[in-house]
Amino acid sequence: MMRRFGGLFRFAGAVILAVAEVGTAHAGGRLHVVTTTQDLASIAMEIGGDRIAVETLAKGYQDPHFVDAKPSYLLKLRKADLFIQVGRELEVGWAPGLINNARNKHIQPGASGFLDASTNVNILEVGGRVGREQGDVHPLGNPHYWLNPENGIAMAANIRDALSRLAPTDASYFQERYTAFEGRLRAKIGEWKKSAAAMGLTGMKVVTYHRSWPYFAEAFGLEVVDYVEPRPGVPPAPRHVQELTAAMKAQRVGLLIVEPYFDPKLSQQIARNAGVPMLVLPPSVGAAPAATDYIRLFDTQLDLIRRALAGGKP
Amino acid sequence: MMDALSLLLWPLLACIAIAGIHAYLGFHVVERGVIFVDLALAQVAALGATIGFLLGYDLHDPMAGWLSMGAVVVGAALIALLKAEKRRIPQEAFIGIVYAVAAATAILIVDRTPEGAEHIKFMFVGNLLAASPEEVARLAALYLGIGIIHFVWRRPFFAISHGTTEGMSKGRVRLWDFLFYLTFGLVVTQSVAVAGVLLVFSYLIVPSVVGMLVADTAPARLAVGWAVGVLVSVAGMLASYKFDFPTGATVVATFGLALLLALGYRGAVRRA
Repeated sequence: MMRRFGGLFRFAGAVILAVAEVGTAHAGGRLHVVTTTQDLASIAMEIGGDRIAVETLAKGYQDPHFVDAKPSYLLKLRKADLFIQVGRELEVGWAPGLINNARNKHIQPGASGFLDASTNVNILEVGGRVGREQGDVHPLGNPHYWLNPENGIAMAANIRDALSRLAPTDASYFQERYTAFEGRLRAKIGEWKKSAAAMGLTGMKVVTYHRSWPYFAEAFGLEVVDYVEPRPGVPPAPRHVQELTAAMKAQRVGLLIVEPYFDPKLSQQIARNAGVPMLVLPPSVGAAPAATDYIRLFDTQLDLIRRALAGGKP
Repeated sequence: MMDALSLLLWPLLACIAIAGIHAYLGFHVVERGVIFVDLALAQVAALGATIGFLLGYDLHDPMAGWLSMGAVVVGAALIALLKAEKRRIPQEAFIGIVYAVAAATAILIVDRTPEGAEHIKFMFVGNLLAASPEEVARLAALYLGIGIIHFVWRRPFFAISHGTTEGMSKGRVRLWDFLFYLTFGLVVTQSVAVAGVLLVFSYLIVPSVVGMLVADTAPARLAVGWAVGVLVSVAGMLASYKFDFPTGATVVATFGLALLLALGYRGAVRRA
């Protein structure tokens, strides 16, 4: 019996080796960066330029709370010099085990190749209660902070520092690219805020499906008054739907925002009954075809909102 | 390039450990016609952890583990007791009801807890590729212990599964039934946390069904089941690697393929 197992392992090993040999082409001398989300990958590319090779685990259209791991994730993590996560328990359900199993000591939590991009970011809802009734407790705060573009600057600075630590000789290169990115992003933030104000977003009351949008609301002056999903992962009760619909009418809610990985059916019905436009908004780079990088993500979002408010007219 | 192999070694060993105990338990489950009992007991265990949530214990708190174990004890007792009605109502009907009510109750409880259901979902998803050496060792120790219990008392367990309980009193049948579902529930809840509901269900049912298709005696069926479980683990892991598919779903699909092959084999043997 043991001999048969040994044979199986050798066979498995031989096939795995043969396959893996084809799959990996080493990026000569470049730092290998692996990020959990495409938002992080986009910012990392802005800072790292041609000195790094970036790979992402979760695609933008996937719910980052739940990601089905593939063997390639382990291989990417295995050869990574730097691992970057959103943190605040966004990836707690899948990333820690993978990092552990990749057995790459450089990217274990606490090592120099492990970066939690939320450091120094102004995190909302930390350990506090939000919402109006029983409230929703996030011990480490709401993890969707990349949706305020101002936080993109802090994230870029974190990535610059981590890259400079790992490749000190390229530190001035990373600094240069950081300055250029910061300038571009700041100019864009000015533009976005202006166009958000022009389409009447300042002070507009909105309802969202999941609690993904407090940072986006913070950036563009929206006020999130309620959620379709009363608790994360709990389908809303009929009374909640009824009260929500009535409240949306009474409070003149301007927009109902839904993340792409939730079933929009119920939200559509609520929006129709309340006479409010509903919009599926991409929360991440890669969640919509036009959202190809961090800056285009906000371009895409604001464009979608403008169209939704104009009643579907371009 | 030994890396790739070593990275997939522990997930593969986890699969093989799971195959070892589940192909055996699956034999009983299929014989007894209680196919969905694993889903029901996993849901009951999750209900226990959810109650822990309501009381303020995190999913990783040992208290949550004790609560879900307690829930499994209650669930096992319930399923063993409900068997009494078997003549009029199939046991599978009760098992389905236990599943649905446990799942619904968990939703009701989560509605009253501050944190929502996301953490509970992790109990069912599993993350095979994250299986650590410690986890695999823990699983193997648990499976071994329960395997020994089942080996030592194999007579009553098999007698109930085969429906040959003439010499046993009603109370004893119920006690052994309870012990069966209790040990089964402990195994399944641990496996589900590592491998996810879909995968555990497949490891339980497919090897035993393939065994029934291609072999006649109980030992031969068990041997075929174990062989199928191990082979599918290896093949599924390799396919997942080669085509870069999510690992759990690939292994489940490979089980489907193994069943098709077994059906083809049986057809060919019949015609010959």
